Amino acid sequence: MPCVIALIIFSILGIFSASHRSLAKEAFDCVFKRITLRPCNSGFKEKIKSKVLSKLIDRSVFLTRIVNKHYELLSWIFFILMFGSMAWVIYGGYNFYVYGSCNGLNESGFCAFDPSGKNNKISEVNAECGITQKSSDKLTLNDVDLSSFPTKNITNAKDSIVFIGCYACDYSRKAYPDIQKLITSKKTNFVFAHFPAKGDTTFLEEVGYCVYKDYKEKYWDFNNYLFTEDKDFILDKANINEILGSFNFDVEKVNECANSIETKNIVEKQVEELKKTGLYGTPTIFINGKAFVGPKPYRVYRSAINKFIFF
Amino acid sequence: MKFIKKIKTMFNLEKIRSDFKILSEKDSNNIPIYFDSACMSLKPNSVIEAMNDYYFKFPACGGRSSHKMGELVTKKIKNTREIIAKFINARNENEIIFTRNTTEGINLLANSIDFNNGDIVLITEKEHNSNLVPWLYLREKKGIIVKTIPLNDDNTFNFEKFLELVKGVKLVSVGYTSNLDGVSVPVKEIIEVAHKNGALVCLDAAQTVLHERINVKNLDVDFLVFSGHKMLGPTGTGVLYGKYELLDKLSAFILGGDTVEYTTYSDYKLLPVPERFEAGLADYAGIIGLGEAVRYLNEIDFNDIKKHELELNSYITEELLKLPNIKIIGPSDPSKRGGIINFYIEGVDMHKIALMLDNMANVSIRSGQHCVHSWFNNKNIKNSARISIAFYNTKKEAEILISNLNKIIKII
Repeated sequence: MPCVIALIIFSILGIFSASHRSLAKEAFDCVFKRITLRPCNSGFKEKIKSKVLSKLIDRSVFLTRIVNKHYELLSWIFFILMFGSMAWVIYGGYNFYVYGSCNGLNESGFCAFDPSGKNNKISEVNAECGITQKSSDKLTLNDVDLSSFPTKNITNAKDSIVFIGCYACDYSRKAYPDIQKLITSKKTNFVFAHFPAKGDTTFLEEVGYCVYKDYKEKYWDFNNYLFTEDKDFILDKANINEILGSFNFDVEKVNECANSIETKNIVEKQVEELKKTGLYGTPTIFINGKAFVGPKPYRVYRSAINKFIFF
Repeated sequence: MKFIKKIKTMFNLEKIRSDFKILSEKDSNNIPIYFDSACMSLKPNSVIEAMNDYYFKFPACGGRSSHKMGELVTKKIKNTREIIAKFINARNENEIIFTRNTTEGINLLANSIDFNNGDIVLITEKEHNSNLVPWLYLREKKGIIVKTIPLNDDNTFNFEKFLELVKGVKLVSVGYTSNLDGVSVPVKEIIEVAHKNGALVCLDAAQTVLHERINVKNLDVDFLVFSGHKMLGPTGTGVLYGKYELLDKLSAFILGGDTVEYTTYSDYKLLPVPERFEAGLADYAGIIGLGEAVRYLNEIDFNDIKKHELELNSYITEELLKLPNIKIIGPSDPSKRGGIINFYIEGVDMHKIALMLDNMANVSIRSGQHCVHSWFNNKNIKNSARISIAFYNTKKEAEILISNLNKIIKII
């Protein structure tokens, strides 16, 4: 058993060190002999054992005696632990590739591949909104009426994406271009919903609603602009007319619509509908009903659409 | 040839160690504690320098090229032959045949002595494979009879059994000093008895030459073989000594370049001894290095060597016997075991002990069956750990060895 452990460890170390490479060869020879039902008489096991014992003996004779006596048992334990941790690492790697976190979808625990946790950062929806739970398991689109939100429908599209973001949220702004890239390359249906998670952005939601109502095609350019231009500029209410004018929208008409009671009621209703999803931060992106919270790498979104993860 | 007595230099261990680069490194952590000289001795700087001189200054053929470098090589080889002849007190340098090692020397004899079906070769029960396998092979090939002399209980030579078995023997081939336990056999008496019974005697002196002065003329031994690498010389060098009249009667073994005076398409004439036994281009650098090793050994008094080695052996033996379950192979009296302390613990793989000593304190000892598998198989002992001392070892080294062994024994 120690030979198997040695083979794996020395093979990895052998990538960087010639001396470990020769030990890996010895370990392989030993493992090969055992696999072919021959005794491993190369002395390799004793060589490794003596190295271990020699290191220990100056620290604790008692411990060395225990290790010497139960070497085979300890080897088995280490073997199982090693394979367990290897499987865990592989599982973590898989999670990281597919979900952007070693710990699984939307899990924000420490991940060695993403130590800063940037793939799970969100603009948290504050308690005032009445949204307190943070379990992504409860995120759902069931019973959520999305009919009033800006929608792009592609004929015969099999996949659908719902993007709930906030113009003022850096993480939403980070995820938005990737989602745009995805809906273009994968030809998916798309629903956009602004949720005012950060700052006073309700006015943009009202303006957006009115733009979409009257300029369905141009709306998407306008939305892209809001997500890509300087944040301070677009969040300043004083600049909204200039922005609307730059798209040749009827500024007066849009303002009238945005300030109407009817629009305010609809926007309020939209926020209430979004709360039904159980969202606790932006961006929250539903891809075919599966929720992704935080700005994931592009591959994560793509994997959710791909049939076999990688393609 | 006159046996010239030299004034020996005082036994100065510090000076001796400074002659060995490996033992005089500035960083003492890099100096190995080497107790495996029975397998391979360390080499003094002068031996390595002599070999380098050959490669750097005159790397030519000896015995055939007439240019200056060739002449120099021929002279150096002749000189080495003379030094070795003088070292063992042979009658002249023509009794010295260069071989690759002891094994080759014995094989040369086995293939050159006119053995016939039923001839008896007498060996002991603890011969190195080199002095066992060639005879077992001849038993299959030519139908010779191989007899073994049983040992005493303490592994020493059983002279009574020898007297019983020596009658009708063609060759007595025994290890002068055993690599198993360091015990030397009573060679003078063995040779006398063997000769009285009409037997030839071959001594395997591989483990003797570094520790004891050998005088082949006084011993009246017929053949004597030893290796260069166990006596401060380079690897791949060895010597077969034989009485000239006996060597002259041996049939040739390996033939080719350097073994013949002339050839025609249908005939050849062999060169005289020793050249006829040294086929092909020789290891000139090695032979020159061997000559330098002998020159170095000639500077040290073998009585001093023996005294120093006994002192170390006594200390190690005494301390080893204090440890539990240790069994020393051979007599417990260190004075009977030369420079070897070979021990084992029942049920313990002694490789582990050797490896741990190496890892813990850079102490080199040998573990295994030491090429005497027959003895181990007969005794049903798995393996042993052999400490072999040479004159360059120190008491401090022995103390480190023992203190680390103490630790290891505690955890086994």
